Amino acid sequence: MSGQTFYKDELSAYLKRRSFLLRIGLITGGIFLNGCYKKMRSNRYNIPGTLQGPDAKAGHILRDKLKLPAAKSTRKVKTLIVGSGISGLSAGRWLKKNGETDFEILELENHTGGNSYYGSNKIASYPLGAHYITIANNDDALLIDFLKEIDVITHFEGQLPYYNDYYLTFDPEERLLINGEWQEGLIPDFGVPVADKKEIRRFLSEVDQLKNTRGNDGKFLFNIPLSSSSADENYRRLDKITFEAYLEEKGYRSKYLLWYLNYASKDDYGQKIKHISAWAGLHYFASRRGKAANAEQNAILTWPEGNGWIMKQLAGPLRDHIKTSSLCYDLKPMPNGNTLVTVFNTKTQLTENIEAEKIILCAPQFVNNRLLKNFNRNIDYKAFNYSPWLIANITINQLPESKGISLCWDNVAYNTPSVGYVNSAQQHLNLSEDKKVITYYLPLCDFEPAVARLAAYSRNYEQWLDIVIPELEIIHPGISKAIENIDFWVWGHGMIAPAKDFIWSENLAKAKLPVDDKIFFAHSDLSGVSIFEEAFHQGINAAKQVLNVTS
Amino acid sequence: MNKKLPALLLISVFVVATCGLIYELIAGTLASYLLGDSVTQFSTIIGVYLFSMGIGSWVSKYFEKNILSWFIQIEILVGLVGGFSSTVLFLVFESIASFRIVLYGFVSLTGILVGLEIPLLMRILKDRYEFKDLVSKVFTFDYIGALLASLIFPLLLIPHLGLVKTAYLFGMLNVAVALIVCLNFKKEIRASKYLQGASFISIIALLAGFIYADKITSFSESQTYSDTIIYSKSTPYQRIILTKKNKVLRLFLNGNLQFSSDDEYRYHEALVHPGLQALPFAKHVLVMGGGDGLAVREILKYPNVDSVTLVDLDKGMTGLFQSNKILLGLNKNALLSPKVKVINADAFSWVKAQRKKFDFIVIDFPDPSNYAVGKLYTNAFYKLVKGILAPKGLMVIQSTSPFVAPKSFWTVNKTLESVGLKTIPYHNYVPSFGEWGYIMATEPDNVYKKPQQYLPGLKFISKESLDLMLYFPKDMGKVETDVNKLNNQILVKYFEDEWANVL
Repeated sequence: MSGQTFYKDELSAYLKRRSFLLRIGLITGGIFLNGCYKKMRSNRYNIPGTLQGPDAKAGHILRDKLKLPAAKSTRKVKTLIVGSGISGLSAGRWLKKNGETDFEILELENHTGGNSYYGSNKIASYPLGAHYITIANNDDALLIDFLKEIDVITHFEGQLPYYNDYYLTFDPEERLLINGEWQEGLIPDFGVPVADKKEIRRFLSEVDQLKNTRGNDGKFLFNIPLSSSSADENYRRLDKITFEAYLEEKGYRSKYLLWYLNYASKDDYGQKIKHISAWAGLHYFASRRGKAANAEQNAILTWPEGNGWIMKQLAGPLRDHIKTSSLCYDLKPMPNGNTLVTVFNTKTQLTENIEAEKIILCAPQFVNNRLLKNFNRNIDYKAFNYSPWLIANITINQLPESKGISLCWDNVAYNTPSVGYVNSAQQHLNLSEDKKVITYYLPLCDFEPAVARLAAYSRNYEQWLDIVIPELEIIHPGISKAIENIDFWVWGHGMIAPAKDFIWSENLAKAKLPVDDKIFFAHSDLSGVSIFEEAFHQGINAAKQVLNVTS
Repeated sequence: MNKKLPALLLISVFVVATCGLIYELIAGTLASYLLGDSVTQFSTIIGVYLFSMGIGSWVSKYFEKNILSWFIQIEILVGLVGGFSSTVLFLVFESIASFRIVLYGFVSLTGILVGLEIPLLMRILKDRYEFKDLVSKVFTFDYIGALLASLIFPLLLIPHLGLVKTAYLFGMLNVAVALIVCLNFKKEIRASKYLQGASFISIIALLAGFIYADKITSFSESQTYSDTIIYSKSTPYQRIILTKKNKVLRLFLNGNLQFSSDDEYRYHEALVHPGLQALPFAKHVLVMGGGDGLAVREILKYPNVDSVTLVDLDKGMTGLFQSNKILLGLNKNALLSPKVKVINADAFSWVKAQRKKFDFIVIDFPDPSNYAVGKLYTNAFYKLVKGILAPKGLMVIQSTSPFVAPKSFWTVNKTLESVGLKTIPYHNYVPSFGEWGYIMATEPDNVYKKPQQYLPGLKFISKESLDLMLYFPKDMGKVETDVNKLNNQILVKYFEDEWANVL
């Protein structure tokens, strides 16, 4: 299979690059040994289910540079958007809003959505990736306009937006299993020593202060979108150290606090505090200032299918512009100044050429790297690291009884590998449902992303069970008997990891620049933080640039 | 052969006696747990048990050959019947109609078998030992065993082992006696191997029961009801228990009292008449919750009402009140009336999809004791209900006790006001519940006119009583609260706190 070639290429490149021969040998050897060992015990759990991920076949065609049939036809499109994740859809929305009709959105999967894709079964719809947004910062006019458009904001009461009652997360919202009991909220409290609590309070008040502080240029230190954050060097330099080093410097040692920060960092970036920059770590806590008429600050908005719901609102009006199963695999400059894009339809197996005046590439940079062989962006693609994730949607007939507060939307256990699970039925209105789907999120952050990704791709369904079930059994003893089905979903490149010296690096600044005023870029990896708001703004920015150039 | 009775045999007598009394105590305790009225239960159980022992003693004369082998078989049987008795009784308790037959059947069977034991044992031993000595010692140990049983049962066994495990333990002891006798007299018994095997298997079975006892049943439920349970059923949504004491019926849902037939009229008259009597034009009425049909019974007293739509989640509940004779008597066949349409659906989704408007809406949900029910007390829900209320119509909401839970009561009021409704809160005294609260709500332009007279035949509501109901003394006076929303569910928290002090 093509997977094998990929594995060899990437691994050997990796070894040459770092010459950590021995170490990698040991790690990969370990993974394979581990794999064999686990395979022998594959009948331990009698739980049916599936193992899926983004369409690897289409992706591999690109990666392995397979020979595709020659193009039979050429047509013209004024603006071509490549990728239908949030950034691509947002770009499309902006073009349409501004009267553009001649544009097309190409998607290599057979569905739109990227990381906001979702699934469903007989019981419920559930997220497969991103699953919530927080209420908008009140100065984020573009986002607020959009949320009004899709009835997430129903009206204003005075200056404050009133959010749709059905989309604000229903109470009870969050619980943490710690010291044998489920406590309310995720900040460790139950059975936590006083000294640790004091340190946690110190950290929270520090970030609270940062949240409301502006830099020497008058902008908030941390804001959403990131590009509107202050350029104050005193704080930008926090991007040059790791979050771990920052915390150590500030004297934070409480294991409970560090657990909480590792959890938060894994939750938003898929990496622990030692692998993200201090600027990114603080951004998580200090960038959200949203106020609403009918909810607390930073309240969360969610839907049974997670961000799949917002994605559908974006994609719906663009229906006629979207072409799925369309793999864009080569871009060439044309003598007339346009760009010739070769597109392979994975359904019809036919290839066609599209001559585009402008292109917005809304794909992650590791994909762009392969698309732009004929162009020179002069950037280091290796600086872009993506955290791999495993998502497990678990159909369950009844959660075992446990001590403390009852099932919440977000359920996290102290000191476990995952970042917990969400109840996808939280926003259901019906009183009683005998079955529900819970969505479990496991960031694969124990090894460097490239290694973790290879290991993830090589695991089979039973091996994932062996990883997930023991943790679930610790959280809810006896749960395996209540599980009816598990659908695993592996995101090899789940989200951009904001490592130190990435977000404000020269490399990233260069990556945001258009090529020849013809090819523009929009993706959350160009912000360095994989959140809906960034993708949304990235899309609008790129669309604005296109409109500026053409007008 | 030795003329003295071996200690082993005396211990057997002792064990047999202890077991016999334990079974009797178990049956008595279980009957008073499940059926209530312990004096009656214990008295009748002891009577039936002793009488059955008498039958057993009388029957013993018909056993002529192979007495030893019969004795061993009876021991095994007593062990099995006694050991499994409490489990079986707990399990068949669900089908309440036949429960007494099964209970007294078990008591009689155990009694007869236990009654057989001592006479047979004495006949086995009569030729081997001196009769005078035999009678003296056997009965001494018999009565000592009884004393021991009566002491350890309440002091040790019930608190530490519980009913089910105790029964299995003594079942095993009984069979152990059979095994010992079998081994001691194996030369005189023909099928000794077979009986040994049977004893062994029985002990294993009883041991399994002992180990899994906790999984088989839990007792807490039955202990909470002091009255006789006449119906019990678990539906997918709740556990319905109907109890009866003298003429009074009580309905419990998940252990919470829903009504008591001797004073429910106070609740249902207060819920329906202040509102509906003020709406002489009302044709279409909606009731949400209230699957017992008692509110519907009151509504059907108005000839101007053409249709009543009842939305209740639980088919088990509405079905019961459409079919059970006693309950049909209570709700006057309300749910069988051609004017009434029963819909089994989740109220939130149902209202959301509803377009038709209603002149009068009764919201009679269970108290907001958990997050699931709490959703039905939120501003989001009331917004939807407001949307299906006719412009001149009224709705009324049962709103828990303004005396015990003032914050909860006034939260419902505040939440209704927050969606742009004018509220008319009131309360009355329902002996089974205590002081109880209701809130009527209507469009702000409407003026609520207190009815000057009511339908004939009402037992509680009158012009004068409504005046009192509308007045809130200081100890139930209005308190400031927040609005209950899907994303805060403060009502559930208030309700929990306030009732925790009482219950």
